[in-house]
Amino acid sequence: MRLIAAVIRPLSRVNEAVLTAGRAIGIAAIAIMVAVTIVQVFQRYVMNSALAWPDEAARFCMLWMTALMAPTAFRRGGFVAIDFLPGILPATGVRILNLILLSLSMLVLVVAVQIGWREVTGLGGRFASASLFIPTSWDLSSWYRVPRSWMMASLPVGLGMLIAVNIELWLRNLAEMLGTRDLPPIPGGDGMDTGARGVD
Amino acid sequence: QDWTLRAVANSNEDDEDYDGLQVFKSHVEAASNGAIAVDIYMGTQLCSNGAECLQGVADGSIDVYISTLDGAAGLFPYFQVLDLPYIMADDRVAERVLSGDFMRDLRDRALADSGDTLRLMTIGNTGGWRNFANTQRRVQTPADLQGLKLRTVVADLPQELARAMGASPTPIPWPELFTSLQTNVVEGTANGITDIMSMRFPDAGLRHLTLDGHAYMGAYWWMSNERFMDMPEDMRRIVVDGFYQLQQATFASPKRKSIAAYEAFAAAGGEVYVPTPEEKAAFTEAAAPVYDWFTGTVDGGDEILAAFREAVAEAEEGLAAERDRDIQ
Amino acid sequence: MALIWFLPLFLLFLMASLPVFFGMLAAPGILLWLNGQERDLTLLYRNLYNGIDSFPLMAIPFFMLAGELMNRGGITLRLVEFAQALMGHFRGGLAHVNVLSSMLFAGLSGSAVADTSALGSMLIPAMEKQGYTRKFAAAITAASSVIGPIIPPSGIMIIYAYVMGESVAALFLAGIVPGILVGVGLMIAVKVMADKYDFPIAAPRQSWGQRGQASLKAFFPLMTPVIILGGILAGVFTPTEAAAVAVLYALVISLFVLRTMRVSELPDVLGRAALTSAVVLLLVGAAMSFKTVVSLSQTPQLMADWVLTLTANPLILLLLINLLLFVVGMFLDAGPAIIILAPILGPVFTGMGVDSLHFAIIMCVNLTVGLATPPMGLVLFVAAAVSRERVMTIARAIVPFLLVEIAVILLITFVPAISMTVPRLTGFAD
Ligand code: NA
Ligand code: NA
Repeated sequence: MRLIAAVIRPLSRVNEAVLTAGRAIGIAAIAIMVAVTIVQVFQRYVMNSALAWPDEAARFCMLWMTALMAPTAFRRGGFVAIDFLPGILPATGVRILNLILLSLSMLVLVVAVQIGWREVTGLGGRFASASLFIPTSWDLSSWYRVPRSWMMASLPVGLGMLIAVNIELWLRNLAEMLGTRDLPPIPGGDGMDTGARGVD
Repeated sequence: QDWTLRAVANSNEDDEDYDGLQVFKSHVEAASNGAIAVDIYMGTQLCSNGAECLQGVADGSIDVYISTLDGAAGLFPYFQVLDLPYIMADDRVAERVLSGDFMRDLRDRALADSGDTLRLMTIGNTGGWRNFANTQRRVQTPADLQGLKLRTVVADLPQELARAMGASPTPIPWPELFTSLQTNVVEGTANGITDIMSMRFPDAGLRHLTLDGHAYMGAYWWMSNERFMDMPEDMRRIVVDGFYQLQQATFASPKRKSIAAYEAFAAAGGEVYVPTPEEKAAFTEAAAPVYDWFTGTVDGGDEILAAFREAVAEAEEGLAAERDRDIQ
Repeated sequence: MALIWFLPLFLLFLMASLPVFFGMLAAPGILLWLNGQERDLTLLYRNLYNGIDSFPLMAIPFFMLAGELMNRGGITLRLVEFAQALMGHFRGGLAHVNVLSSMLFAGLSGSAVADTSALGSMLIPAMEKQGYTRKFAAAITAASSVIGPIIPPSGIMIIYAYVMGESVAALFLAGIVPGILVGVGLMIAVKVMADKYDFPIAAPRQSWGQRGQASLKAFFPLMTPVIILGGILAGVFTPTEAAAVAVLYALVISLFVLRTMRVSELPDVLGRAALTSAVVLLLVGAAMSFKTVVSLSQTPQLMADWVLTLTANPLILLLLINLLLFVVGMFLDAGPAIIILAPILGPVFTGMGVDSLHFAIIMCVNLTVGLATPPMGLVLFVAAAVSRERVMTIARAIVPFLLVEIAVILLITFVPAISMTVPRLTGFAD
């Protein structure tokens, strides 16, 4: 029991640190998405000269936003589920059910992250972006065309973070089932917690 | 059966891709006496764009796939050579070039560049020729395109072309194009008549179509190289012949389909304009910067453009000789 | 084993309370693996990624963000005051105000939950103070909040349009009249109950000067739907861009014009929108994977064949489908339900000649009403939280309003013109 708690504490701290960084990037990403889309409307409607890159840049940000924010939602219980059964089971039953469900989601995540990594490093990742470049010299005279793998990497990274969260949640359930009571709570309360789970 | 080929096209069953696949399936299944079976998946059931589907071909989850140019150009930029405007004059030239060794050279390059995974089997047609169409006015010369917000795919060459014509290239995703035309977010698009009609663009206000024929809408048929090479040579021969049949079918199908499409376009109030030889020359001249852009930015662009021009010249020569005999 | 078994397996996972996201991947994944179709696991993953990688989908985080920005005390208050100036003097005035505020709020926000929490926290205490029972106040708040995703903008309609390849603009336009109809239906119900139970009158009739003042204060928030729909119809921007413009507009009025928000609050607002969007986007991606297996297993054809053995009369089938959707809505939120059911049911009905746009509205309205039905109604829970009334108590009090909403659903189902007229007049449907 001590042992489990000793694993949970550092894991929880690491997760919290990584997820905090992820949220910061996710917040920047959604801001950039809005900004470049507005720029595009302005360029096309006011300047009558549409740009090629905002569409792809915004999608780039959306993918990374999704991947980096979702683990936080998962950790705070924000993944949509029909939580009818846990409402009618006794506490121990709920914990056993949670352990089974978390094992199942772990299976999904582990398989997905492996396929995902193959995809990033495979042929599909070598496709060049149609409109995204980064400068490779200070005087902006040479540009590097961003490969598709930079976008594709978002999902495996997100899945990796979800795996870390999944392990933490699994261990927490186990510890609670074994009667541990003094685990550090999952931090929240940063104004991002929301009763809403989705678009409804 | 011994081999089941999973063939994917992102278009629907009204498309010439489907006609081609039907012919392919029928030939291959019959000629192999059932040893090869072909399962056809139309639309985005298995994958939804070039990069994704070609990756599927490379890793073996898909066996046969047709990509358009913007699907393939992300991996093989030099393929854009076939989209350079006004190089091939008509169907006969295009069909002859695409049946010849130029296609085989492209195949070798693509094989080498994809680590021997993607095998270009044939190049057919999907939708005839790309023409300028718009909601605003009749386009007779490049000057009429000046300032027009022209929808392009997010690929370099079509955007360069729009710019060269003085139009304002505007990237809009295909699913949003109807609404965008309807609301004048864009005023024009470059498509073939069958796509224009299957998407009901006249209902969105598209009225003016200029048959400048700036690009041949090539259909690039890919097969997993591993899958292909795993077959014994007699089966490979059957598959290769199947792709020949498919190519012929996709050459023919748009010609037949466009008749009804042009009629429907006229019935919907559309106006078709055929530029005079002088006007066509003006379009060709205005497009000059696009060739410079291609040779300047695409690796090996010079070389491949020269090879392409040579193939076209050869085809024209051969055609001229045949015609001379045929009219005597 | 036939691939179609992924459906019962998925259902089992759902009922066992596995998150929908994992269920949509696990059930088909396990079946593919059992069948030795391991190369198709890659397809499943690829469609998950590609399902998220879409420009039109970006409207979801944008409208979510615009809604978050608008969902500030000051802006909501102005809408409520405006509604009060118009309807406060009727018998049952505040109940009418509650419904009308929801209709106005619906033009700013695409979410029923946001509606319940924003308006509920303001109106439920106010109604109680005037002598309404708490359960009635919470019930009318929950019942009217379902208008939020029916009148545009609407999060679930963006999802439907994306998953099914419909036009977002057409769906938005098609939702206007049904949304108003739900509102009017609820107001009629309130009127009947007000006369019967002698509801209080909120305030004396306001003068036209006072009404003018209230309209002026509500002017900027009320312009949001005009800008969104007007901009789309006038060709200034696409629906996705309209969503971004709505964010900019909401930002400007809340930061600089009405000053209902400070810049320091911005990161939290962005974070909240990003967090909820991420969950939805992952779900949409999983839906696209799920859809792959739906077509590999030929579910729509099998489904259509089976449905046709029941009856071939489209009217009876529509009635049955409403029943099914209503039951599903009792257990599942609207967004996930659409993600799961639209690819399976949509083709069945369009194949029978039901207009795809009309079917979309039937599905969206029905599942949205499901948000307010027990046992698993999301807005019921939120209404319970803001009113501190028990869920089951609200669930009983909401029954008369649900009956009205069911009547409206049936009206929408059997009179296609209700949904189709506005899109037809604007050229978005034929
Ligand atoms: Na709304
Ligand atoms: Na309300």
